[in-house]
Amino acid sequence: MIMQYAVETFSLTKVFSDWWGRDKVYAVDELNLQVQYNEVFGLLGPNGSGKTTTLKMLMGLLYPTSGRAVVLGGDSSNPKISTRIGFLPEESYLYRYLNARETLDFYGRLFGLPPKVRKMRIEALLNMVGLKAVANRPVGTYSKGMARRIGLAQALINDPDLLILDEPTTGLDPIGTRQIKDLIGQLAKRGKTVLLCSHLLADVEDVCDRIAILYSGKIQAKGKVRELLQQTHKTQITTGSISETTVEKIKQLVATEQADCVVTSPMDKLETFFINTVVAAQQQAGAAAGAVSTGRISDFLTAEHIEESILDKLVSATQTADKSKPVTPATRSQPAATETEKVAPPDSSQGEADEKLLEKLTKQQAEPPQPKPVTKTESAESEADSHQDHKTILDQLTEARDEDQKQTGNHQGD
Amino acid sequence: MRSIWAVAVNTIKQAVRMKIAAVFIILLLVLLPVMGLTMTGDGTLKGRAQTFVSYGLSLSSLLLCLLTIAVATYTITSDFEHKQVYTVLTKPIRRFQLLLGKLLGVILLSSALLVLFSAAIYAITIYMPHLSGAGEDELLQAQNEFYTARAGLTPAEVDVTAEVEQVFEKRLKTGQLPPEVLTSQNTRRNYKAAVAERLKLAKRAAAPSRELVWEFDNVRPLDPNQSLFVRFKYDVSVNPPDLQIYSKWLIGDVRQLRYGMVETPVYDFSRKDLIRTFHEIEVPADAVAEDGYLAVVFFNVPLNNTTVIFPPKDGLEVLYKADVFGANYIRAVLLILLRLVFLAALGILAASFLSFPVALLLCLAVFFTANISGFILESFDFLSENVSGVYSYTLKPVIHLLPQFDKISPTKFLVPARLLSWSLLAEAAALMICVKALILLLAALLIFRYREIAKTII
Repeated sequence: MIMQYAVETFSLTKVFSDWWGRDKVYAVDELNLQVQYNEVFGLLGPNGSGKTTTLKMLMGLLYPTSGRAVVLGGDSSNPKISTRIGFLPEESYLYRYLNARETLDFYGRLFGLPPKVRKMRIEALLNMVGLKAVANRPVGTYSKGMARRIGLAQALINDPDLLILDEPTTGLDPIGTRQIKDLIGQLAKRGKTVLLCSHLLADVEDVCDRIAILYSGKIQAKGKVRELLQQTHKTQITTGSISETTVEKIKQLVATEQADCVVTSPMDKLETFFINTVVAAQQQAGAAAGAVSTGRISDFLTAEHIEESILDKLVSATQTADKSKPVTPATRSQPAATETEKVAPPDSSQGEADEKLLEKLTKQQAEPPQPKPVTKTESAESEADSHQDHKTILDQLTEARDEDQKQTGNHQGD
Repeated sequence: MRSIWAVAVNTIKQAVRMKIAAVFIILLLVLLPVMGLTMTGDGTLKGRAQTFVSYGLSLSSLLLCLLTIAVATYTITSDFEHKQVYTVLTKPIRRFQLLLGKLLGVILLSSALLVLFSAAIYAITIYMPHLSGAGEDELLQAQNEFYTARAGLTPAEVDVTAEVEQVFEKRLKTGQLPPEVLTSQNTRRNYKAAVAERLKLAKRAAAPSRELVWEFDNVRPLDPNQSLFVRFKYDVSVNPPDLQIYSKWLIGDVRQLRYGMVETPVYDFSRKDLIRTFHEIEVPADAVAEDGYLAVVFFNVPLNNTTVIFPPKDGLEVLYKADVFGANYIRAVLLILLRLVFLAALGILAASFLSFPVALLLCLAVFFTANISGFILESFDFLSENVSGVYSYTLKPVIHLLPQFDKISPTKFLVPARLLSWSLLAEAAALMICVKALILLLAALLIFRYREIAKTII
């Protein structure tokens, strides 16, 4: 049977009872949730609305009182299915005595990843979450944000098809938050499904395709973010700096349509301001003691397959031929176009500013692109992406924009 | 399998880095050499070696048992306490694999420490003769009575039930029975037991100018050129004036004497020994017949003028060298390993549904009970005579599920240099691991399989 949904629940109910077995709380009440393949779905709700309980039932950590949950067409406790899931719980529950590298190695072993792949991915993920410099320190000594980064890295080590994130951005600094948002966008672009729950509305708004709002265990509203939020009776025009007379002319023009018109200078977003400040500080002081904001996203999560040997080339060539039509709708659109649409905030000039700043950060921090180890790693699942660019998403973004005028894609299909 | 191994390695790392193991290692590494230097026993080399091995192994065993219990219960309960189990069990690993991995890790850790400590004890014990500067006699004594593995044969218990019945019937007919004996089942049973006791005693007693014959089969000395030892102790009905007993002994294949063909030598001894203390007669091992037969004949010399009794259990025993000390020592250490495996399984079971303090307490209770299980079993059997039905179907199976650590303790074999045979070890392993530990483990897997991981009960 082909499952239509990546995650589907049928009247999922969870009742927490007290010690005597009396019903106390309906944490989740007759929940019917459908998450399609290749979408970013946000589960919103105030504290105690049943978001985490729902995710725990999806992961088999709690048993539903009634109803059932189907994940990737089956039960998530089945190893065949859990191999394809990445899960980040509401806090990063880590073995405090292991260091970052050992932590990732342990989880990599649980996935049965071969040593070479494991090593490659661990280094890539440590780079991505900016913990390479502190990778030999026990995780127990990490700050909350640093632990969160390792938690995220362990959820990504198997390059999952379905990523389930519980409050992914709590404890992270704005740069880390932004990075996670970019990452989610990037994964969705590769045909992955992301289910995240959060009460940080700004995050959800930026990345989610569809959302559901949960209150006391029930869905109160659901739908596409754009449809839910777009104010169809208003129009916003953003221009460069223009003279008073032009403003007056526009006002007159608008008045002929009998509509109100407000003219202000747009404010910088606090996020932009923050990143700006950090860039200045980093130029002065150099590396920080804790986590480092890299803005990079691991290559194996974005693109892979740099063929090393002729044999690898041959193998991958046949595989690509077999899969000339990808099963998953992997590439929804060209990277450059999607990024502005998906990740950038509505105000496009601000978005551009953000990316430029982030790019600065990245350029400054990022080590020179590493020689890639043998990456004949991924099985069929990532074949669709095998010929994509392997630059980081932010590099891609800026470079694509620059080169748009001249010539596109000189490193596409290398 | 790979994920089981990953969990096992992680468990070992946990125990090592949380310094649980370090405490035990330091404790033992300090205590062992100190004990080796200070323990003197009865002053002889043999005594020193005996005390050191006995205390060293007991201490190591005790500490390792506690370590195993602590690590096994902690490693699982802490995963729940700190919720790492959320990130682990959502990976492609089955729940039983997680438990088996933990068990494997605990057993590997304890085994490694056991090897370390027992090797240290062995090294110190072996080097003791070189360091002690003991004389020739002492060295020989230690060599024969400690640095060896002697099999001990005791005379088989004689079955006297038929004779008891005969005696009872005869007395019943002739009216010799006291009348109160027949009043109830209990008094009748007690009377018979008393008769049996007396008859058994008669089999071990020799009146003046009488003889006692013990026959042993299956005597297999390691080397026929070495000696075997007859170890005995006298009891007497009337104390002789100087507390000495004169005796004659024949040791060898006495069957030959009946047919007059002597192939293997039969040795005879005339002795004078103090009563109520142990003595050993050294006999060349070639006295044993081809088929492993050996007879020991005791003749009570008439001038003693008293009946000589060999007390039950340790009255008479034939000892012979059956293996070397090292091999015996290894088996004794394996016996400790059996305990550790059992305790690891127990800890896993307790931790599969209890919190750390409760699980720890439960395991400690079972451990200490197992150490005095002989006493407990006996006393329960004795006390429960009146409620036997209820007892034998409820409490008894549970108590018998306990391992009996005191019944087969390693020092019980090493101190008197007794042979701990492979078959005895295998029997203990079958019972303790294949039956008892397996039952515990299966219960743990079953409980853990259905446990709701993220559940909190308030």
